[in-house]
Amino acid sequence: MRITQRALALNSLRGLNNNLNAVNKLQNQLTSGKTISTPSDDPTGTNTSMITRQGLAGNAQQARNISDGHTFLDASDSALQNMLDQVRRVRDLAVQALNTGSSSAASDQAIATEVGSVRESLIGQANQVVQGRPIFGGVTSGNQAYLADGTYVGVGGANGIAVQPVNRRISDVEAVRVDITGPEAFGDPASGKDLFSVVANIASHVGDSAALTTDLSDLDKVISGMTTAAADIGTRSARMDTAATVNSSQALTLQAKLSDTEDVDLPKTIMELQMQQTGYQAALSVTAKSLQPTLVDFLR
Amino acid sequence: MSTFSGLNTAASALYAQQRAIDITGQNVANANTDGYSRQRVDMQSIGGSAVPAMWSVSTQVGQGVNSDQVTRIRDTFLEARAQAEHATTADLTVQSATLSSVESSFQEPGTNGIQSMLSTMWSGWSDIANNPTDPGARAQLLQRSQTLVAGLHSVSGSLDGQWTNTHDSLQTLLTDVNATAQSIAGLNQAIKRAAQAGTPSSELQDKRDVLVLHLSDTVGATATPAGDGTLNVVVGGATLVAGNSALGLKLTGTSASTGVTADPPVIATSPGGTPVLVGGTAKGQLASLTSIIPSYQNQLTAIAQQLATQVNAGHAAGYDLKGNPGEPMFDDGSGTLPVDPTTITAANINLRITDPAKVAAAGLSPAAAGGGVSADSKNADAMYQQRLSGTGADTGYRKMIVAMGVESATASSNLGTQSVVSGQVDSSRDAVSGVSIDEEMTNMLQFQHAYSAAGRLVSTINSMLDDLMNMVR
Repeated sequence: MRITQRALALNSLRGLNNNLNAVNKLQNQLTSGKTISTPSDDPTGTNTSMITRQGLAGNAQQARNISDGHTFLDASDSALQNMLDQVRRVRDLAVQALNTGSSSAASDQAIATEVGSVRESLIGQANQVVQGRPIFGGVTSGNQAYLADGTYVGVGGANGIAVQPVNRRISDVEAVRVDITGPEAFGDPASGKDLFSVVANIASHVGDSAALTTDLSDLDKVISGMTTAAADIGTRSARMDTAATVNSSQALTLQAKLSDTEDVDLPKTIMELQMQQTGYQAALSVTAKSLQPTLVDFLR
Repeated sequence: MSTFSGLNTAASALYAQQRAIDITGQNVANANTDGYSRQRVDMQSIGGSAVPAMWSVSTQVGQGVNSDQVTRIRDTFLEARAQAEHATTADLTVQSATLSSVESSFQEPGTNGIQSMLSTMWSGWSDIANNPTDPGARAQLLQRSQTLVAGLHSVSGSLDGQWTNTHDSLQTLLTDVNATAQSIAGLNQAIKRAAQAGTPSSELQDKRDVLVLHLSDTVGATATPAGDGTLNVVVGGATLVAGNSALGLKLTGTSASTGVTADPPVIATSPGGTPVLVGGTAKGQLASLTSIIPSYQNQLTAIAQQLATQVNAGHAAGYDLKGNPGEPMFDDGSGTLPVDPTTITAANINLRITDPAKVAAAGLSPAAAGGGVSADSKNADAMYQQRLSGTGADTGYRKMIVAMGVESATASSNLGTQSVVSGQVDSSRDAVSGVSIDEEMTNMLQFQHAYSAAGRLVSTINSMLDDLMNMVR
């Protein structure tokens, strides 16, 4: 084949261009830190990367949901514990009132007044609000679960409306209930035997031993219901803890996967760049040597 | 044989070597000229008269050398192949470049693309699910949805801009093609006259070949020589240049990206209006205008429609803060109800709801919630879960991006292969018709030596004649 100077120059130029192109690509990867800058760099990797990014976005949101759910559960738990303490005080007072031997009209009056004020305090606690929502009010859009007279005005669990759980989504497939409605925790108001009715009865029955005995057994049932509710909240709180651990370990896994897919393998890429640069320099020096001489240089 | 015929022989030799050196000079001068084919003097010895005649004095010695003919050295087969390969390379270059710029419009994978806007919007629904009555969370969702809508508009606008740029560029290209065709017709005329007058026209032919190769690049033209030295240039079956007359090409059809389906852009002859199947850059640009860009525009529109359909359906299943069923979230901007998803495009999708209270987060109707408005967040959570749907906008979008990556990678690898093929053909062509300095220098030395020898012949004959003249003194 006949080789001309121009063909040689053009071929060299093409080779040098290819070399420089490869160097450019590697340098791009190193400076951006990413192996995939457009989908065509690696379509399969792009797919993985997009799925992983979607997973990470979901994971971050679920982490927020979990911490939000925790706040709600903690508020319910501490409200229930405080209320239980006060209900025990009511029970003590009721037992004291039953103890007829040492009672007088004045002491009965004092007990009745104290029970009445504890009831007000209990209703206040039952209307406790987190982020503007009463924690025992179910899905009510109002700001109260119970009226001052102890009537349940929340939505769900009473008045023929089924309980509507307030959930927090803690993973793609799991949602955990974070609330407990008033009727579930304090008894069904329709039966007339819920916490606030029973405490009201105790206040009015002080001095009436027979009625007070019935009230006491009703109160024991309510206390047992509240304890169960507190245990339930505690269990769910523990589940949230587990979910938080799973969530953060999943975040790490997803991050590692994304990094695996998109990020540049530094040692490998630097080695490749070195090799490519060596090749490029060799090509340059060879081109410089082979393009220079022609027969003209040797004609005297 | 006459006494002076030796001088004549020497003179023809001097002239021939002189001419050869001149041609060598021309070759060296054009060693780097694009499209130049090296030339060679065809030297032929002049024989003595072979026919005996009454007054013939021939003694069968030759009469010197003839150097009238100068040949362009080129291989027409390689020229034709180069035209074809250049056209294919130009076509693939444009397609690959179009796909790369389409890719860059989408900015995937990354944090600025539509996927991340979708994810952010769905997360907004989950924030509402955590806090269904909070106006802040609701306003945030509307903001995020608005960002997504703006993102769709922006990508669609960028594709639109590319379409318009390509359209303009194709129009400019055709103006250039028409000018080139006119030049070729003019050169045809000049070359035909030169051939008739018997004057050399190598340089004109070189110039014409360069123009033809330019037409191959731009519209995939091929050339066939006609008998009289002219070239006929053919594009997709239509004769663009015949002899000294040239036909124009023009771009017909829509000049807006929205009209592609109804009235696709077509390249047609002007005058005439017959559609022409072009190759080269024009083919690639036409493919970008009629298939590549519109296809991604349509896919993006399909995603916008899917998004509107699924969000509107999900939203209608819920109840807003006033207890009314959710209104459609997205429409085509016309405001008509019910919303017809088929009229929505990526360019006109619009967020209908501006009042945060109208976001339907609750799943329980006021009737089911005992008359009051429910503050449950069942519907907001259901909306959040839409992101996982296998037939939803997220999945559709991802599929599109991956398919685009594959298409672009394929186009770029095809271009790589084609460039190698085209480069090889160019090398082969250059191997035949390119100028080799070494060869020219060698030839120059040969011609120089021959010239000196012929000069020596003249001086020898001169001294012989001197001797002869001295004899008669």
